[in-house]
Amino acid sequence: MAAIDKRHKETIGKIKLIMKDICKDVLSEKKMPSLDITKIGYDNTVWSEEKRMLTIGTKTVHISPDTTKKIPTFSQYIVMSNAVRKLLDEEMESTIRGMYYATLSTVGDEGNKQKFWTSQDASDDAIKAVELLTGVPREEFSVTSKPKGMISGPILLRVGGDIIDCNLGSRATSQLIPTNIMDVEIVDVKADFVMVVEKDTVLNNIRKSGFIQKYNAILMTGSGEPDRATRMMVKTLNEVWKKPVVVFADADPWGLGIALRYKIGSESLSYDSDRLVTPDAKVLGMMFSDIYDYNIPEVARLAASEEDLNRAVDMKKKQWLKDKKWQKELSLFLKNKEKCELDAFFKHGFRYLAETYLPQKLRESGIL
Amino acid sequence: MKSKNVIEIASSRIAQEGSSSVVQTKSKTKINFSRKAESEFFVDNSALAGFTGERILYMAIRELIENSLDSCETDRILPKIAVSLKLIDPLNDLWSISCEDNGIGIRSDKVSIAVCSFLTSGKYVEQQQRGLFGVGLKMIAAFSTKDTDHPLRVWSKSTEEASEYYFELRTDIGTNKPIVLTRRDVKPKESILRGNSGFRIEAVLRGRLSPITKNKIYDYISQTSIVNPYAVISFFTDDGKITFDRRTTIMPEPAKEVLPHPADMDLKTLKKAIGNYALQKTTIQGILCNSFQKLSSDKAREIIRNAGIEVKQADKYSEHELIKIVNICRQTKFQSPNVDHLSPIGERIFTVGMNTERAIFTRKDSIISDDHSQPRISTKEMKPTLTGYSSRACIINNRPTIVECGLAYGGNLSYFKLYRFANKIPLLYDEGSDVAREVISEVELNKMGVSKKQVKEQFSGLDSRSDRAIDLLPIHIFFHICSTKIPYKTAGKESIASEGELKKYMKACLSDLYRKVSKQIRREMHLKDAENRLKLYKYYIPLIVNAISESIDISAEDLTNSFLTLVDKHVKREATHPRTPNTKVESPKAPKQNHHVQGPHKDSRTKETSLVAKSSKSLKLKHVRSTQEKIENFMASEELD
Repeated sequence: MAAIDKRHKETIGKIKLIMKDICKDVLSEKKMPSLDITKIGYDNTVWSEEKRMLTIGTKTVHISPDTTKKIPTFSQYIVMSNAVRKLLDEEMESTIRGMYYATLSTVGDEGNKQKFWTSQDASDDAIKAVELLTGVPREEFSVTSKPKGMISGPILLRVGGDIIDCNLGSRATSQLIPTNIMDVEIVDVKADFVMVVEKDTVLNNIRKSGFIQKYNAILMTGSGEPDRATRMMVKTLNEVWKKPVVVFADADPWGLGIALRYKIGSESLSYDSDRLVTPDAKVLGMMFSDIYDYNIPEVARLAASEEDLNRAVDMKKKQWLKDKKWQKELSLFLKNKEKCELDAFFKHGFRYLAETYLPQKLRESGIL
Repeated sequence: MKSKNVIEIASSRIAQEGSSSVVQTKSKTKINFSRKAESEFFVDNSALAGFTGERILYMAIRELIENSLDSCETDRILPKIAVSLKLIDPLNDLWSISCEDNGIGIRSDKVSIAVCSFLTSGKYVEQQQRGLFGVGLKMIAAFSTKDTDHPLRVWSKSTEEASEYYFELRTDIGTNKPIVLTRRDVKPKESILRGNSGFRIEAVLRGRLSPITKNKIYDYISQTSIVNPYAVISFFTDDGKITFDRRTTIMPEPAKEVLPHPADMDLKTLKKAIGNYALQKTTIQGILCNSFQKLSSDKAREIIRNAGIEVKQADKYSEHELIKIVNICRQTKFQSPNVDHLSPIGERIFTVGMNTERAIFTRKDSIISDDHSQPRISTKEMKPTLTGYSSRACIINNRPTIVECGLAYGGNLSYFKLYRFANKIPLLYDEGSDVAREVISEVELNKMGVSKKQVKEQFSGLDSRSDRAIDLLPIHIFFHICSTKIPYKTAGKESIASEGELKKYMKACLSDLYRKVSKQIRREMHLKDAENRLKLYKYYIPLIVNAISESIDISAEDLTNSFLTLVDKHVKREATHPRTPNTKVESPKAPKQNHHVQGPHKDSRTKETSLVAKSSKSLKLKHVRSTQEKIENFMASEELD
């Protein structure tokens, strides 16, 4: 707790420093203040061969209230910084939606009133800006999102003072991965490996089959696009607890994209890749070739959309998919224009996925 | 099958029997060739003159005002016109309409035919006038006669006569002749017309007036006033009275009557010219010189030689010989026609008109309350902050044509509006199909030095009715086409076709104008932007100051005041030294101030040695160092709690 308090104080100090700099500009130097912030997005994301992940580039943006467009943005960042400072001072925590409500207001006078935030997206952006300005990830200043990641298996967590055992004998439920990651501590891991799947529905099926007990595995899912807490948990299990990580997602460009979030990171969070990405994770499936190797009947396949195909063409050009295996898979997809969900294995029986497909894949890759 | 055969046989028999049976059938439906009086023809085909259903009252007002203006301008009289339109019998839709001017009047012996007989007019000359056919007044007389039992009441005081005359008239529609009910001298003390000369007409018409048409009448009057700022125009209605005062005493050069241009010659004009000299035994050469412009004696001789016809008395030529002259003339190059017969508005008058534009609007509250004591209409001055003018002379359809283009910007203008005028008459209908609309969409806005993006950013908030950038600008664009033959698209004379090179010249005018006003418009836009920005600062600075003063110990008042002074200076500097469009130049600033820009893991990032990062590595390291130094310095100098 003491360590957290100290970090909170540092964050508060950094926010105050930003404020003081603005005051210095305005009061003594008589010039327009400016916040220089690292640019986020695809045009400032760089693939690092050495780290095997997406990292942030060198571009910055200058947010100064000197143009009509930037006056609101500048104000939003300052108001959000103050809100974060308040949250830390009060030793409270909040979701990103909570921060949106806490800073909600209107600007302008009668007859010309506007909302301070056009939507929660704008306030989310401001929170990101505070992260970049202070160099402190938002979990450290107690701003979290709604938990949606899930975990099952022989792992013991301590959240605050409470011990949570995720080794659920009943097979009936999974544990939500807490998003206030600063309060979470992994106490013990007895599993041999970690298996991450794209969707919670698939995780439920596998858990029910007794997979965890049979193969001594930890099952995790981000329920689609994984949140930061899930990504960090995967990374910790792999790099601190030295557990191999395998990822299974649907056999479509979207699913592959999600699998790659764990392995190489994403453009929108590339500034935080060092805390979020697990380069040693293995994306094992579902491969496009599995559709044919495992005889998924035609009725269970889906036609690829225009968007899917474009995405696949883009992916084929990426440095991190230059590997022969991936090039072949993507070519196969572009040729057949067919995609498939993991759920399609249910066509072969409800236990097929957990008892035939997954073990076979794991054996092929040497995990089992 | 059977019946078909029968028919075939029957029809073949008719063909064999030949003409006799055909004549027989024809005699049953005998066509009566009868002559229709001009008045009857025009009443039956009133659409030819624009008098259709809804538009009758609008057309009547329009025709009367145009006649009055023409009548004043021919003698350089500063026009003073009073028009009124009042509902006198709501049950039967009867309206009393009147128009009074201080023009040259009509001689008492001509009044009755000028008012009632179609195709009798002083307008059939080669000279720019508002009306061309002289039909308007007659339509009013004929419609009044047709639909009501009220006579037309006319007062006229001609410049050629000493006294004022009063008439009560109706039209004999069947014969195109006036019926004079009353005709008498008006004694000086009973005189109605105040000026040295003038004309007043009162008529009762049957018609309906929808709110749309009513607004068209208002538009017509306010737009007429734009191009005739030297005229006083008063308008009396049931909704109130409106007067457009005289804003200048300068009048445009009146149009002069000119000889036709030889390139426009045809058999008819040539024969008419010869006819004019029938008694004088002149040579064809002389007639050509005297009857057409830009034709010297030498040139006439050359034309006759080229036509290969012998020299004889002018009225002895056959049509076959004359057409040779016409054909040669059409092939010969002549000097451009002179434009003395045109009367453009001119830069000075146009500018006055644009600067003093007033729009008539109906008070919104008056629609709800039925209080007739309060005037329901009033006017709003547009007061544009800048105006521009440009013009071009050109030949369209062998007729000299002058294109005038004006532009007004800012002030009380709220959004884009196009004004079209043909021979000083506002065109109000069919804007979408008018060549001017095409011209506006084809001339790029960036000729003005502003980009569509800029316009959208600055103005889309005010009125986003349209996606087109031009529609968002507070700008009025005016086109005036003068010619003796305006290429109207339809008989209704409400929109102009893209004939010949007209569009090219209109585009050239508008481009000129955009360039001319570009500097000023940019300035205007910057001022406007500065104003918007100051407002934004006013809204947002309290939020910023509040956030800061909650976090650190600082006087909110001091910070607010300093901030306000700073932004005021900043906005003023930007407004006086605007950025050049499209190329964003950062406002002069001291070396960039870097507030810690770091991502979460600056240490690992600076160690990065990937190829991509290498090129900018040195720069980045320096940048990181300076930020770190800054934090360290700050930590050292100030105590953090």
